Amino acid sequence: MKMECEHYEGLFTDYINKQLPAVEKVAFEQHIAACPACAEELQAMQQVWNVMGEDAIPEPSADMQHRFNAMLANYKASVTENASVWEKLKEQWEQLWQLQPRWPMAYNIAIMVIGLSAGFWFLNGRKTADDAKLKTLASEVHELKQSVMLSLLENPSASERIRGVSYTSEIKHADKEVIDALFATLNNDPNVNVRLSTLDALTGLANHPEVRQGLVQSITQQDSPLLQSAIADVMLKLQEKSAVGSFRKLLKQKNLDQGVKQKISKTISKLI
Amino acid sequence: MLTDNAIMLKVKEGDLDKMGLLFQRYHRQLYGFLFHMTYKKEAAEDMVQHTFYKMLKYRNSFTGSGEFVHWMYTVARNVLKDEFKKNKRAQLHSDVDDLADILPGGVHTGDMYEKKESARALHKAMEKLSDDQRQILTMSRFQELKHQEIAEIMNMTEGAVKVRVHRAMQELKNIYTKMES
Repeated sequence: MKMECEHYEGLFTDYINKQLPAVEKVAFEQHIAACPACAEELQAMQQVWNVMGEDAIPEPSADMQHRFNAMLANYKASVTENASVWEKLKEQWEQLWQLQPRWPMAYNIAIMVIGLSAGFWFLNGRKTADDAKLKTLASEVHELKQSVMLSLLENPSASERIRGVSYTSEIKHADKEVIDALFATLNNDPNVNVRLSTLDALTGLANHPEVRQGLVQSITQQDSPLLQSAIADVMLKLQEKSAVGSFRKLLKQKNLDQGVKQKISKTISKLI
Repeated sequence: MLTDNAIMLKVKEGDLDKMGLLFQRYHRQLYGFLFHMTYKKEAAEDMVQHTFYKMLKYRNSFTGSGEFVHWMYTVARNVLKDEFKKNKRAQLHSDVDDLADILPGGVHTGDMYEKKESARALHKAMEKLSDDQRQILTMSRFQELKHQEIAEIMNMTEGAVKVRVHRAMQELKNIYTKMES
């Protein structure tokens, strides 16, 4: 019975709504006639349904139409306003192209010139600033190398002193202090190898007149045959004619090596 | 006579004045729907305006593949949803007590009084339903839309609409009977 009631309850709305097919309607009415509980339920629903049917909808107020008209007019105005802004922009854009080619071209060129000059100005400004920085940096490094070199020349180890001498090849503008130190090494260093590399270093600085002069003076001060012939080579290479006097003085020395003697004689004849 | 769809398609093409025709045809029906959903006269009127405004604004979303009326209800339901969201916390004050103004005649005959009382009870019962139940009953009973039409508007199957109408009806009956006794 309960199951049955549930089934027919599901059809209440359709029955009230008169949407139940004829066959089902007969079975439905038979059930209602036999089941007082369902009959009561159906009656309650029918009552609500009827009340709903009688429910009146209040009249909408008269100014609804006016409000709608106003809303529509407003909306249309906002739409055309948007459209006219767009149209104006389009027109202006087209006008810009009608003035072709003079104004756009002039404008383009002006912008390009401004851009390029701004770029150059900017880059150059940076360059000079960078240059100045680099210069100070370079001079600082130079000073550092020089002081390292000078201190290395005083080192008791011969190999360290050679290292010090070799630094001078990296010093482009050797000042008087460096040159003096090198000559002191060339004339007084106890180690032949150190003196030879010093000679090399000084040869590299031969564009300084005081270096050439110093080398010529140094000829008579050398007692090692190796250095004597090496200086002879340097003088020949530099075509230093003022060295001839010093060589002649050297030839007069009694204990001069036989080989060196011949080499110096040859050098003198070549220089003259 | 032009069909609703033909008119709406003209509106879509830019002939905005044609919306006036649709307003004349449907503003009463729409007002009825919105009145049953809120039982507030002014709010319902405002929402009618708002629905027509939205139909203008989103006219491009009308494709013409379905009936204009269904589309109108869809837009109206969205307006309602926004309104309910806005008023969620505000106490729902209906115009149920002012019903004397809206019933024809001012004289309180016995029959008249009874009608007024039962209408008041019905509105109070309706307000106790969920928004969805109230919507589906309003469309089905007050607007007399077919289940198939409601199915299209609410985007569900006809069978689902049938079941929901029935459940809402039962719920309403229960609330109403309880109030009567």
